[in-house]
Amino acid sequence: MSAVLEVTGLRKVYEGGGRRVEAVGGLDFTVPAGQLACLVGPSGCGKTTLLKCVAGLMRPTSGSVRLAGEPVTEPPPDMAVVFQEYGRSLFAWLSVADNVALPLKEKGVPRARRAELVRRALADVGLSDAAGAHPWQLSGGMQQRVAIARAIAYEPRVLLMDEPFAAVDAQTRAELEDLIRGLWQRLGVTVLFVTHDIDEAVYLGQRVLVLSASPTRVQDDLAVDLPDRRDQLTTRGDVRFTELRARVYARVQAAKRGERPAPDPSAPPAPAPR
Amino acid sequence: MSRGGGAAARLGRRALRVCALPAGLVALWWAAAASSRSYYLPAPDAVAVTFAEVWFSERILADALPSVVRLLAGFALAAVLGVALGTAIGSSPRLRAFTEPVLEFWRAVPPPVLVPLLILLAGIDDAMKVLVIVSGCVWPILLNTVEGVRAVDPVLADTCRSYRISGFTRLRTLVLRSASPQIMAGLRQALSIAIILMVISEMFASSSGLGFTIVQFQRGFAIPEMWSGIVLLGLLGLALSLAFQRVERSVLDWYHGLRAATRGE
Repeated sequence: MSAVLEVTGLRKVYEGGGRRVEAVGGLDFTVPAGQLACLVGPSGCGKTTLLKCVAGLMRPTSGSVRLAGEPVTEPPPDMAVVFQEYGRSLFAWLSVADNVALPLKEKGVPRARRAELVRRALADVGLSDAAGAHPWQLSGGMQQRVAIARAIAYEPRVLLMDEPFAAVDAQTRAELEDLIRGLWQRLGVTVLFVTHDIDEAVYLGQRVLVLSASPTRVQDDLAVDLPDRRDQLTTRGDVRFTELRARVYARVQAAKRGERPAPDPSAPPAPAPR
Repeated sequence: MSRGGGAAARLGRRALRVCALPAGLVALWWAAAASSRSYYLPAPDAVAVTFAEVWFSERILADALPSVVRLLAGFALAAVLGVALGTAIGSSPRLRAFTEPVLEFWRAVPPPVLVPLLILLAGIDDAMKVLVIVSGCVWPILLNTVEGVRAVDPVLADTCRSYRISGFTRLRTLVLRSASPQIMAGLRQALSIAIILMVISEMFASSSGLGFTIVQFQRGFAIPEMWSGIVLLGLLGLALSLAFQRVERSVLDWYHGLRAATRGE
């Protein structure tokens, strides 16, 4: 299957106040169409910088990002981003339904089709009853569901998620993880999921990319060979889950200690697509 | 007691709370007027009778109405100007750095001193009075709009960019709406400034208006009439402020809800 997302030699250097900080240093990876890939790394490792470059919200210092072969220089029309700060990424003055509908309106989707997409997306995230509410009338987990509904209603080819569940409680987080797996399986969208939570990365992904400490490189790239049907109880109790988690954990610890990946990573094992 | 009776009692208590202080102040005025017997301090009942005589006549059309029209025209013009310039300046750091010293200077100039200048430039007709009101009202609106536009949440701005929301939709749904609490605060300040400047502009070369009429009464020693004009100005200010509150409540409904939600109800 062809790569829908290609990141080649991506570097981002911040300069200012006489200081020069290399946040992302020479990053290469590709994501095949339809894959759910998780990026995990030590905190402060430049994950958000990387994601912003991929989303076209920030220009890399060098290197390139390609979406379906086209270079990304500005936010592309077939990509959606779900941010960590759900409370700040929703329009407090618009109703839930209007929040979901706004990008579609701007995209020029006809009214009837728009209404249908909004209705379906809200049903998909279990918020059909909240269409008329304002975001601040909902709990944190429900607000993040609104942001997810807005992203899937947009019908993107690639869905980027920047630590989307870092700010919700553990139970809500488990529910949202299952929601994302369910949506991904049903919609066939490519998902790039950034997280600092190792368990979450292994539980969600078909593949986990472990990032090094800043300047970020790919430290390890492993396929998650767990069954496609996963649930919070049996999957997390699975021996294979524990092994994978241990491996990712060891790599993240190595990254924290500052160990660098091998200078020439001999073609990382391309995980089998779904 | 029936539910209807309870509601009536609540309404009665509320009316009592609202009216108690004004009633007390009028009583105090009464006592002061009765004990002083000064010519310049008529009793409230005399002022009330004069008020009806003076203002329930064609004078309300000849003097009060032009004042209100000038006030609203000046306020509206200042609002459009302040929000438009404020949005432009708030959106561009370069423009802000460029304009800041000049804005600070003009803001520091008290608007009443512009009256003689504006008489020379714009004559003594309505245009001058509206310009005086605009020149004072525009600053709180402009400066608050700049602050509001600067404070647009970066995450929400990124959200707009990633969904390719730009141009007029971005201005209307992101910039102006997220700045609306500050813009409304600026408009509220501007409204009280507008009333003051309306009166002042009419005290200079003028032939109609509330400010003009009050000064006329004072010069003619029509003291109860003068007092009735002051009362009318007070009532006008009160009415405008209540109307503004209504508008604000509907525009900023989301903001009050959001604040209540973040405070934990």
